[in-house]
Amino acid sequence: MPFTAKPRTFNAAINETVLGTGAKAVTLGGQNVLPLYFFDNTPKNAPAVGIEITDTGYDATGLPALAAFYDGAATPAERAKKAASAEGVSFVCLRFEGADPGGLNKSIADCVAVAKDVLNAIDVPLVVAGCKNIEKDAELFSAVAEVCQGKNVLFLSAREEDYKTVGASVGLAYGQKVGAESAVDINLAKQLNVVMTQLGVSAQSIVMNLGAAAAGYGFEYVASTLDRVKAAALEQNDTMLQMPVMTPVSVETWSVKEAIMAEADMPEWGSQEERGIRMETVTASACLASGAESVILRHPASVKTIAAMIAALL
Amino acid sequence: MARFITIGERIHCISPSIREAMDTKNPEPILKRAKEQIDAGATYLDVNIGPAESNGEELMTWAVKLIQENFDNHPLCLDTANKKAIEAGIAVYNRSKGKPIVNSADAGDRISNIDLAAANDAIVFALCSKAGISKDNDERMAYCQEMLERGMGLGMDPADLWFDPLFLVIKGMQDKQMEVLEFIKMCADMGLNTTGGLSNISNGMPKHIRPIMDSAMVAMAMMNGLTSAIVNPCDLRLMETIKSCDIIRNDNLYADSYLEV
Amino acid sequence: MALKGLDIFKLTPKTNCKDCGNPTCMAFAMKVAQGAVSIDKCPHMSADALAKLSEATEPPMKTISIGEHKLGGETVMLRHEKTLVNKNLFSLYVCADMADADIDAKIAEAVKVDYERISERMYVETIFVNVEETQTADRGIAVAKKAAATGRDLILRCTKPELAKEIAAAVPVKVLVGANASNYEALNAVATEKGLVLGVSGKDLGELHDTIEKLEAAGNKNLIIYLGGTSIKEAFAAAVQIRRAALKDEDRTFGYPAIVNLERLAPGDDNLQASLASLFTLRYGSILVMGRMTYADALPLYGLRQNIFTDPQKPMKVEPGIYPINGAGENAVCAVTVDFALTYFVVSGEMERSGVPVNLLISDAGGYSVLTSWAAGKFSAGSIAKFIEEQQIESKIKSRTLILPGKVAVLKGEVEAKLPGWNIVVGPNEAIQLVRFLKDYK
Repeated sequence: MPFTAKPRTFNAAINETVLGTGAKAVTLGGQNVLPLYFFDNTPKNAPAVGIEITDTGYDATGLPALAAFYDGAATPAERAKKAASAEGVSFVCLRFEGADPGGLNKSIADCVAVAKDVLNAIDVPLVVAGCKNIEKDAELFSAVAEVCQGKNVLFLSAREEDYKTVGASVGLAYGQKVGAESAVDINLAKQLNVVMTQLGVSAQSIVMNLGAAAAGYGFEYVASTLDRVKAAALEQNDTMLQMPVMTPVSVETWSVKEAIMAEADMPEWGSQEERGIRMETVTASACLASGAESVILRHPASVKTIAAMIAALL
Repeated sequence: MARFITIGERIHCISPSIREAMDTKNPEPILKRAKEQIDAGATYLDVNIGPAESNGEELMTWAVKLIQENFDNHPLCLDTANKKAIEAGIAVYNRSKGKPIVNSADAGDRISNIDLAAANDAIVFALCSKAGISKDNDERMAYCQEMLERGMGLGMDPADLWFDPLFLVIKGMQDKQMEVLEFIKMCADMGLNTTGGLSNISNGMPKHIRPIMDSAMVAMAMMNGLTSAIVNPCDLRLMETIKSCDIIRNDNLYADSYLEV
Repeated sequence: MALKGLDIFKLTPKTNCKDCGNPTCMAFAMKVAQGAVSIDKCPHMSADALAKLSEATEPPMKTISIGEHKLGGETVMLRHEKTLVNKNLFSLYVCADMADADIDAKIAEAVKVDYERISERMYVETIFVNVEETQTADRGIAVAKKAAATGRDLILRCTKPELAKEIAAAVPVKVLVGANASNYEALNAVATEKGLVLGVSGKDLGELHDTIEKLEAAGNKNLIIYLGGTSIKEAFAAAVQIRRAALKDEDRTFGYPAIVNLERLAPGDDNLQASLASLFTLRYGSILVMGRMTYADALPLYGLRQNIFTDPQKPMKVEPGIYPINGAGENAVCAVTVDFALTYFVVSGEMERSGVPVNLLISDAGGYSVLTSWAAGKFSAGSIAKFIEEQQIESKIKSRTLILPGKVAVLKGEVEAKLPGWNIVVGPNEAIQLVRFLKDYK
């Protein structure tokens, strides 16, 4: 019997969520086919690749290309500008590492000033990530969301513990986009979307951060969570799981030993920077294959590679 | 597997207020009941206009347009013995939220409703009976096969024939209940879709008992693979049971707020 | 793949003759689907219908052996649906057109990547030798011999039957890739004679399908699909559509594993090849051919593969034993935890970051996390004491300080009672707090 391809499209689709404004605004989601299966249906929006900077700057020891890329950029705004110009970048993620009360404990006012500068320095959409401290993040997100009104900034993330305050300020009061973070727990992922929409945040303003792991470090949980979310969203038309997914890959991959072990300590492994990039790209590619609509990466070479892979699949 | 499909039964000409609304073309009572049922989570709404021998076409057209235009093309189940009325209803039906359902065909006089569904790319309820109640599951299965063959012969997708074993009233036919459940299982094993008027089982029981009995029945029937039922969606206990069974069947992903969505 | 009653019913004569002892053909079909009666109870099934049925009961995807490795045999599209069965393999690409020095360097570099991770050997299992039709047999043999000298399984790609035959006669090849619509008969003869797996390609999926049908008709079902001379988009679409046709649409002609040649899809682009290898590890590539294989590629890719191909029902376990961290010697403190692989990786990673020498003791806890195994009685004072005795820790390590995971602080007293002479210290609840804890402790 001759072969005839049967395109598989669903009567359900991933929500379209817009980040940023103007010509460089990015729309996530929209597809009614399984992740990256663009041969089943023309993609509505390509998966987006973001580049991450921190308010404090990276320690680029052992990473000469990364150091060279940010060479001469002394402030977060200058780094953001360089980051936004990297090949393949769709958006910039500003991570407030310095806000951590267990670390530099920078004041909210300082952080707001940084956010404003960064926003003014770039024309691509901005994603703001916190310092993982619940109380500080809630306060930080609210203050930053206020000064970024009208810019469609995404905040990572509202969690089980703080979705009410973050959802109310970021999503409702200031009309920004809210990330819902659920650490590889699919039932919690759905629950957060339910309670946030009940709070009044529109489904189109929610992006899911389902959690991440570096390749080799329990990535099977990430893959299966993403697989199941997409199955529920498309096959079961579960509207409470149709929010697009953004996966912060870099924070995970740049902390495993494959990426941080110096070449001097492990000569047979070769260049540390190459290892770090490969760990980041392999993980990002696996996230996209399983169902992330966007990934956040650190190294410009990783961004370029993943953007090229996406382009080749469109 | 897809989530359980509920067909709201409350737009029925047997209700005095609906009958009057249909006679006088008064939209309000119909829209009110449609809204109640949609809010309660009904996947489909049944629109029963009665035999409607004289004005069926006009009445069905009016009712279909009225409900779909007011409720974002909510999918409907067209319920009347008047075939022309069903055809007229399908002609104005908007399919964007789901195919229309023809209610209903059987293996006897009404078998040609399968032809009607096939010609109009509709779903059809196929009652596994000919005249009266089938005596056993062999007879039900013979009718099921007859109707399935007819539909498939006309090019229908077998998934569009929803077989109805006929739920039987417990007060009077208590000894037949397990047989009905068994038939549902047989259909599920075949890969066929099933449906039925669930609340018939509790006919004649006290009002406070009916939701309890209906809930128990739907849980047992869902265990056996029932894929849809004609129900009163405003029965909260029943709807909560169905939602819970959907979770257990892994047809819907659990979240703490699953009853609210 | 189990057939639904409806599928069987469609094949019955639908006459309700009752010769099978059932009232209707439908009732009969249902019993056959449940395995309660055999299909041959119906004397009226056509030969065609019986053939369809027997085909439908074959596994949807064949299992193909290459040396000691097995490929294919999958029954589900995604691991959570049940489990994936056979992990994909990696292959190093060399071509007879390359200079000898380049070939030697590539092979030497790839062979260096050989290590163990959670009881699994991580290495390039196969070498892919490409010999174009314009090459001589002598050249092909010379290059294939270089590859064969590594002891890895050999995949030969050669579309010219005579040339392939000469090389396969001189070098132990496992897979012969190169069959297509025009040469399949002659190449099939070479592969069959030598007992090689035959790799098949086509200019599109239609042609590929036709060629496989012809090869199967000729009696060869020891096949593998080759996705090479095409675009990234086409190769990905093909890999998905082939697997989907086999598993979802019961098209057994496509029930074979696939080789994806990444060096052809992204020539010379190491970063892009690694990303694509990740994509095809998750989505239906069975042998991934890479232009290079370095530690930078292997560490994430083999780790990813190990994760994806674990059985969701069975936790990944590391071998119980002493794992010295940061060059720990006999005087370094001991810390005990469970053998759940994820726990091991997270804990050892954080310990490495601390820079403090620690003897990490991994005890047999059934492969579960700390709290789960504690609740199941598999990680207790008794099991820890038994482990210390069985592994003869006291003779191997002089330190008598043992750090317990904070989550089982409750065990402290019991462990002290069972291990006299030991100083039992309760560590942090979360691995992430280990760096600070160890630095402070030191």
